[in-house]
Amino acid sequence: MDQKQGTKANPIAFDHESPEHAENWPDEFREMREKCPVAWTDRHGGYWVATSYDAVVEMARDPETFSSAKSFDPETASGSGGITIPFTPIPRGLPVESDPPEWNLFRDFINRRFAPKAVEGFRQDARNFATALLNRVIETGEMDLVNDFTGPVPAMVTMKLMGLPLSEWREFADPLHTMVFTPKEAPEYAQVVAGVDWIFQRCAEEFMRYKGLPEEPNLLSYFAHQPVGGRLLELNDVLSLANNIIIGGVDTTTALTTHALEYLHHHSEAKARLMAEPSLVPFAREEFLRVFSPIHCLARNVTRSVEVAGQDVDEGDRVMLVWAAANRDPAVFESPDEVNFDRASNRHLAFGSGIHRCIGSSFARMMFEEMIAQMFARIPDWTIDYEGARRYRSIGTINGWETMPIRFPPGPKVPCDFEI
Amino acid sequence: MEVAVIDERCVGQGMCVLYAPQAFVLSDEDGRSQARFRQVPPELEDAVRRAAQACPEQAIIVTE
Repeated sequence: MDQKQGTKANPIAFDHESPEHAENWPDEFREMREKCPVAWTDRHGGYWVATSYDAVVEMARDPETFSSAKSFDPETASGSGGITIPFTPIPRGLPVESDPPEWNLFRDFINRRFAPKAVEGFRQDARNFATALLNRVIETGEMDLVNDFTGPVPAMVTMKLMGLPLSEWREFADPLHTMVFTPKEAPEYAQVVAGVDWIFQRCAEEFMRYKGLPEEPNLLSYFAHQPVGGRLLELNDVLSLANNIIIGGVDTTTALTTHALEYLHHHSEAKARLMAEPSLVPFAREEFLRVFSPIHCLARNVTRSVEVAGQDVDEGDRVMLVWAAANRDPAVFESPDEVNFDRASNRHLAFGSGIHRCIGSSFARMMFEEMIAQMFARIPDWTIDYEGARRYRSIGTINGWETMPIRFPPGPKVPCDFEI
Repeated sequence: MEVAVIDERCVGQGMCVLYAPQAFVLSDEDGRSQARFRQVPPELEDAVRRAAQACPEQAIIVTE
């Protein structure tokens, strides 16, 4: 890359979805950040890629200029905007793919259900799910960390939050994981899509069922009974809310926890320190969020021509805000590629920045703590079978692991209020 | 030392309560932060400075 690259006349060769990017992303971003922190690539119809901390926050905090709104016509399966590149031909997520003032309406409607106090109400559930899931496998001495533990726990907590029946946890957890990494060309892709469709069909069915019952303390029942802006929600808005909550909440926390346990497997001193000093776990968690940033990047849509980091960004352009690159910007983080639990302050952007900051961040933080505590208490010594472990081949959506077989000394089941 | 959270900037990132739980509280309504006091007790000054530095929204203003 020379100094003149990164403009529309001279684009860089970059695709956040490519397997090469998944292999080399820290190096690729280091070079882009140094030479051209806002750069144009012509892939996927062309988009700007923001890799410096300052450029990313500048755009994230200006939703008027950098819009998240999405339009979609189900008849033609076409549309524009939204926060994915390329455009995803499905209805929008809410509130994440809306702009103020509509955004205020939907975010205010659900904020209280995601505030720290509400999340504490789910801690015992998360603990029970983690306990029961380990009971399934602990006597065997082996499990797939992703598919048996770090995937199902967030899936089950999300089901409980939504008001979906927990007996369907396997049917719910699996497609939410496989859809993230299964290539569109793969023979099993149709089956994955059918699995995801089934989840939203179940949301629709349960929403309709809750309409006929007194209000219960779960989201689908809340959506069925409480008005937004003076009117009851239509089914399409309910599915948009469910989309944002389920897609945002499940595989992300899975990726974070899997990365953390993988890191601790081959950093035994760090692991011993965390086990001896549980009060350090939240600081370690924030550092894992920074270094492994499960949501790699999200897009915005430019509503007026403006200059950012010396580039002329035009109305109608699309921009990609790369949280993972901002989180390793040496202008903000000393030795940015190193995991350091003792960082004096850690203003990472793993949950985004500005009004669209991840609404589920308190859930993610709580579920991470419960999963780590359960592992430390019951499976303190695990080894990873790297022959069988596989990272996502594309990390443009979520940076995570498809599968991670582990072995450990078998242990006993423990009593648990929740049976799987 | 004085501290204040700028309401229009705070989006509820929650880093402040990690670094200085004695100085900030997150709302039960929307998860956004408020300082528990304006005048910072001397023993909390360091923690409050770290919290201000750790805020991705730069929503915490510290006046020395």
